[in-house]
Amino acid sequence: MLADVDAVVQRVKQSRIYRRAGNIFILWGALQWARFALFRLFPAFAEVAWFSVDLIGIVATLWVLRGEVRFGGRTPWRLVGAFALFYGFGYLWADVIGHMGGRQLTAFWPTLFQFGYAVAGLWLGAAFLVIGLGGALATAAAFLWSGDAFYVVIPLIDGAAMIAAGLWMRRA
Amino acid sequence: MEAPDEIIHQPVRLRIMAALTALSAEDEGLDFVRLKALTGATDGNLGAHIDHLARAQYVEVSKAFVGRRPRTTVKASPEGRAAFQRHVLFLKSIIAAG
Repeated sequence: MLADVDAVVQRVKQSRIYRRAGNIFILWGALQWARFALFRLFPAFAEVAWFSVDLIGIVATLWVLRGEVRFGGRTPWRLVGAFALFYGFGYLWADVIGHMGGRQLTAFWPTLFQFGYAVAGLWLGAAFLVIGLGGALATAAAFLWSGDAFYVVIPLIDGAAMIAAGLWMRRA
Repeated sequence: MEAPDEIIHQPVRLRIMAALTALSAEDEGLDFVRLKALTGATDGNLGAHIDHLARAQYVEVSKAFVGRRPRTTVKASPEGRAAFQRHVLFLKSIIAAG
């Protein structure tokens, strides 16, 4: 009976993680589309738009996680640290070591975070693993086979995939 | 040794209380559909057990419309949380004694 109680508690906890994560996925999917629209409308301000959208996303993510994270406690700093490490790693390879071109950069950043979701899935549940690996495969396929449409396809696919993944997680 | 709680002891009601008490007291509770998925009970069975728990004042049930669809939300009451804790202690004491 205690095992039964424990199993239900674990399912509730996972369901809550999925629901919160689902909201975050939907948020970032919408931001991907917003970023794409800003790039198209104001190409001269692409760099500003890139960092502004990311900043809005990080602040909004912390807002979605309010109540789960205790500001000033340990948990938010782990989250902020995770973002910082991913960005640091990405910046190091994208701009310092890798000297990637626009096409590579456009594929690199989504896949970096998609692999992050897949890693998180090893602890948080299979849905993260499926979304991470599925997204990375879709990005790779677009990189290899979408030709000149790549710059349009990537943000649309990534945005749509994240929103679909978010809706799926909220129902899980 | 703690005594068993005859209301919570029933397996489906135990699962319902486990799910509801896994949430914090400030949480809004769980809706009927999610609770059904978590407990594996049928609609009628789950409804009957929720009524049973509500009569014992272990849960609070609220009904509202989300758009045009009715939505039933169930939340553990403070009495229900305390009773569940006591029942879990009872189960643990049985295991420890065995």
